[in-house]
Amino acid sequence: MEASYERPDKRRIDELRKIKIVPSVLSRAEGSAYIEWGQNKAIVGVFGPREALPQHIQDPTKALVNYVYRMATFSVPDRKAAKPGRREIEISKVSGEALERAIFVEKFANTTIDIYAYLFDSNAGTRCAALTAASVALADAGIPMRDMVSACAVGRANGTIILDPCKEEEDAEDAVDMPLAIMPRTKEVVLLQMDGLISKEDWKKAFELGVKGCLQVYEIQKSALKEKYEKVKKEEQAVIEYLNEQLESAEDAEDSGETLAGGENLER
Amino acid sequence: MEPKIVIPGELVSDKKMRLGPHVFVENGKIYSDTIGIARVEKGLARVVPLQGKYMPKVGDVIIGIVVAEEYSVYAIDINSFYYSFISKEDTRIVLRKGNVVSAKISRINEINEVSLSNVRVLYGGEIIPVEPTRVPRIIGKNASMLTLLQNGTKCSIIVGMNGWIWAKGSDEGIALLKKALDKIEHESHLANLTLKIQKMLFEKKST
Repeated sequence: MEASYERPDKRRIDELRKIKIVPSVLSRAEGSAYIEWGQNKAIVGVFGPREALPQHIQDPTKALVNYVYRMATFSVPDRKAAKPGRREIEISKVSGEALERAIFVEKFANTTIDIYAYLFDSNAGTRCAALTAASVALADAGIPMRDMVSACAVGRANGTIILDPCKEEEDAEDAVDMPLAIMPRTKEVVLLQMDGLISKEDWKKAFELGVKGCLQVYEIQKSALKEKYEKVKKEEQAVIEYLNEQLESAEDAEDSGETLAGGENLER
Repeated sequence: MEPKIVIPGELVSDKKMRLGPHVFVENGKIYSDTIGIARVEKGLARVVPLQGKYMPKVGDVIIGIVVAEEYSVYAIDINSFYYSFISKEDTRIVLRKGNVVSAKISRINEINEVSLSNVRVLYGGEIIPVEPTRVPRIIGKNASMLTLLQNGTKCSIIVGMNGWIWAKGSDEGIALLKKALDKIEHESHLANLTLKIQKMLFEKKST
């Protein structure tokens, strides 16, 4: 590995681009997230679990995960055709399968979970950005999951193994691009693709670097989700009171709800 | 252990203990499956969710809307991910599409299909949707918050555990109620909420 290799955007070889994640940006979606990953920008909306239609696609053993990855026509320098191409359909499939592994699909029989990921600006590594945001959106929707899914790409450009290649590096002559998604707790790989030629030793190095990158992404996802409830952290005491109250009222709720539906106050 | 915010897959406890809602076990350790507040006490690990759709539970009183009538059942939308059903054998009430009903969940099968009983039709009024996870807060300890809302807005209120609240009253009362519910939803994780709402309701009244 050449230490002297300088990247086009002056990053270290094991440094990610700047990532910003904001959960709950869409009011009509159950859960949503906005992500800025370097120049990449995407919004992800999660709808469901809802009834899967037409009925014959329903699976009585599990929920279907319908992941839709689309790039806007203006997301690339030359206008892209609006019709989803082979690439988009493929990414939708593999990303959906990656998330399906993390979601407790067996809890929601006969339903579908729709995830729509739209890219508005792109510059290499969009599938990782979209998948990372989708995982945040799913958590924001309150859908039960085994773990988050964190993704990032590794690659090689000009003989150096680098984390999170940008467009220029992706187009290098000896370029290798390897998008990787893991579940950070178990480090289980849920998505792994690659193009280019690479030796076994280099691949191992790249993979290790990729896992490290994913763990960094995970920390960003974590803080983005928790930030929303920062107030809770500040008022530790308040949380304790709230929980005590909720513990009791959860039990009370059943009784009182019942008597009300019994209808004393309706006759007024 | 102090309560803390957890995200899906985050460790709740590494000891063996009873499992509350929204946790799962892997390799002997307990993890959260949703975003919420983790709490470990008296040998029980649980997570109070901060987000999520309504999951039906036997005994819950819910508000629903009749969406279809079939040969032997009425299909009811209960703001969950599947419709629920009222068997015509169980009830004498004749329902029509669009009716608002309150009912109790009597049975849930393995694929989350729900049967309802104790049905009654609610006439007039309107349904105010709130986050299902905030419902315990709207009812409050010994229904204190609910009583406050009823007295403060002079509305008849029925709280469905599914996050739909049926209310009937004057236009001003409903408007005030909506404001109050909004406040409860957004500040449900803060303390002294009942006092704040009391202040809000009675200040509005005097002006």
